[in-house]
Amino acid sequence: MAAPGKVSVVLKTVKKIAIQFSPFESNVRSTRQFLSMVGSEKARATNMNCEVITVVKHDKSEPVVDITYVDGDRLVMKGANLTISEMMNAFQSRCRDKDPQAKSGEKK
Amino acid sequence: MHILKQKLMAVTEYIPPPPAAPRGAYPSQSRKVKEGSPLVLLMKKEMGKVFQENKMVAVAQNNGCNAEDMMMLRHSLYKHDIRVRFFPNEVARLFLKESIYCNMTPLFMGPTILIVSKEPKVKEMLKTLRGSPQMTLVGGCIENTLLSVQGLQNYSKLPSVTVVQGELVSGLTMMTSRTASLLQRHPTHLSALLQQYIKQQSSDAGAEAAPKAEEAT
Repeated sequence: MAAPGKVSVVLKTVKKIAIQFSPFESNVRSTRQFLSMVGSEKARATNMNCEVITVVKHDKSEPVVDITYVDGDRLVMKGANLTISEMMNAFQSRCRDKDPQAKSGEKK
Repeated sequence: MHILKQKLMAVTEYIPPPPAAPRGAYPSQSRKVKEGSPLVLLMKKEMGKVFQENKMVAVAQNNGCNAEDMMMLRHSLYKHDIRVRFFPNEVARLFLKESIYCNMTPLFMGPTILIVSKEPKVKEMLKTLRGSPQMTLVGGCIENTLLSVQGLQNYSKLPSVTVVQGELVSGLTMMTSRTASLLQRHPTHLSALLQQYIKQQSSDAGAEAAPKAEEAT
């Protein structure tokens, strides 16, 4: 239930996040938690141009998170069998990799 | 060894951490809400009242709605007599387990709010929620019928009860009115023909009288 780690979600390299799930299924917990973390005020404040689109369906389909980055890459996460920490790790590691070299230089 | 060095060594001696208990030795420390606590009972009663009084109960998830947006949303919903309520998820689950609405349990996950109203004003609610991007409608229960998002949208497109009743009545009476008009077709045709005949007769008589009058003058 608690958010994994204290690293804030930085959406600078993300262009669009599309989340779809069917709430009456039992495997949507991690997807909904991902949505609440990515849609929070702090996350949205890091990049005002990033769109977060949510589609709520009722067709017993799998919960899917589709992230489009600024450089055109796509990350598709099927949240049916993923935990929230795995999803956040995958997402944030890719975001950090795509950050411009200067930022990684500063961290070093 | 010098006394100072001895002191230093004694102070900085390594103290290993106490060995952790093996997994499964102690029960997990999950934070369970005490079911019997009076606050929980009060909230459960409150939820029961909410479900009884309001015909429409919808569940929405709000990801990071700030206070200002929340206030605007509540204000625009209040204009249509729709109220926004908050209940903790654990209390909601406890209440739903014991009531007839147990199938709503999977909806209450994450930061959820309840949107309730006495009259099922789905169209206005959908319009208002479309204005705020952070609110995601997840499902609802209208007059004890559980509906998904598509169900709510279809419900909003239904015409009102009076219109549907009028359509039903007109459909039923269409058959009988057609029968009545079929039965009366022959007499009406006959009476129309007779009227036409009378008109012709009178116009002939008038036409004869007019040339006679002309001849006379």
